Amino acid sequence: MKLYKVAEQFAAWLVAVIVLSLLLVPIVMIVLTSLTPESFPTIPDGDVTLYWYSEMLSNTELMQALVTSFLVATCAAILSGIVGTVAAIGFVRSEISYREELATLMLLPLMISPVITGLAIIQFSSQADLPSGYPTLIIGHSILTLPYVFLIVRSRLVTFDDDLREASRVLGANGLETSLNITLPVISPTVISAMVISFVVSFGEFTATQFLIAPDATTVPVIIYTMLRAGLSPEISALSTLLIAIMVLGALISGAVTRST
Amino acid sequence: MIFRNLPVPTSVRERVTPRHLVAFGLGWLALFFVLPILVLVWQSLGIGTGEPLSAYQQALSGLYLWTIVRSFYYGIATTIVTLALAYAFSYFVVFWTSMKNLFLILVVLPLWIAYIIRYLGIQLFFSPTGPFVDLFGTDFGFLFSTRGVILGMTIAYLPFAILPIYNSMNAIDRDHIHASRVLGAGSLRTVYSVVFPLSLSGIVAAGLIVFILSSGSFLAPAVLGSSENFMIANMIERSYTELFNIELAAALSVIYTIILLALIAVFNSYVNLGEVFENI
Repeated sequence: MKLYKVAEQFAAWLVAVIVLSLLLVPIVMIVLTSLTPESFPTIPDGDVTLYWYSEMLSNTELMQALVTSFLVATCAAILSGIVGTVAAIGFVRSEISYREELATLMLLPLMISPVITGLAIIQFSSQADLPSGYPTLIIGHSILTLPYVFLIVRSRLVTFDDDLREASRVLGANGLETSLNITLPVISPTVISAMVISFVVSFGEFTATQFLIAPDATTVPVIIYTMLRAGLSPEISALSTLLIAIMVLGALISGAVTRST
Repeated sequence: MIFRNLPVPTSVRERVTPRHLVAFGLGWLALFFVLPILVLVWQSLGIGTGEPLSAYQQALSGLYLWTIVRSFYYGIATTIVTLALAYAFSYFVVFWTSMKNLFLILVVLPLWIAYIIRYLGIQLFFSPTGPFVDLFGTDFGFLFSTRGVILGMTIAYLPFAILPIYNSMNAIDRDHIHASRVLGAGSLRTVYSVVFPLSLSGIVAAGLIVFILSSGSFLAPAVLGSSENFMIANMIERSYTELFNIELAAALSVIYTIILLALIAVFNSYVNLGEVFENI
């Protein structure tokens, strides 16, 4: 009986270690190989260097892509933050027929493969004579990140205390004043956290983005993919490590904002 | 800061009802997502090219048909492997450890990192100069093969499977488990007649998400596979950027999406997808 217990415990820990290694080893590999003094990405044995980071910083194409990614992610997060929040408020407070079905429609960009979304948007944008590059990228990313904002804000609103709004109305505030003074301050940490998530998703999106880029507006993941096709190099690892840092920072900000409520 | 007496006409501020907000959200989605998809469907029909529907004929024959089959085969394989790992892991976190939060943070963390970076990490791990080959002298055929693609997707989508399964398992009343033990059932018997049925909704939700995401994956075959492992997403991209055959790319998209949406509709009666994604 005792032996059986020990075996069970051993198996449980083994599974945990395997799953966590699967999840975390790829990320650790990127960080370690970015520090290698060799010209190919290997785990450094003792000698570490930041050479590949300085190489990356002096590569104007990469720096331009970083700026583009940053701009696109910021604008997309603002857009999907506004549209997603407005839609979430509407869905929670209105009694329309087929509400659940229509809400599922808002989640479609999560379910349809991003290849199809990217293809559809670039085709549409060229036929509608939308300027290629930034406008198409930003609109595309705002669509891809919309479901995240919608879901997160909606689940926050479900637990919203309607008595607060009622009190505001009884005290004489009109609908707009109630929204600005009561609803928005209560849900704003959630909205900000959802926008940070949108920013991070947009920053790392590749599959749909590969269709939407223009020669003067290329994002970092597309650059990483293009470099990858030419062969592995520690410079790709350095660039990816920078992205990991930005994304983990996003996770920390989002966590801090949500916890502050 | 308190907003009062804003110079907005009464007609505007009192007439904006929640219905208008819904209309705004759906309108945005319709204009920049639904409409472009409908345009794509129209283009797939190839009306006015002399040979309408020829793209569908092409998409449902030979190489392309095999790619569709392969996508769903890889999707099913990935779902099975991922569910098995996620279930065992969730069981461990719920019943064996007191550090639940730490384990959950470590599971959620990779979700913040872009897929392309995580796939690159896997490629680095198995690359000829990586630690795996260093240790074993071979990558055991993991790189640029079916195995590599399925392992890659398993790693990429594991958190999506762990979270719903963990949530449903964690919600099980411990008294049920104690009752099972008191009545003489061993741990295996308890798992299969108490824990498993009570966490089934989480398993179905996890399976559905992993299947949707993996069968539509572009990056896993592109980074970890060879052209022999191409899935539907890769074929769509190739038809568009290399063959300049928009009708074919559109037809492949339509076929794949119809199969997937039909599948979602079947399962939607069992699990609400909105709730599924909300748990993540």
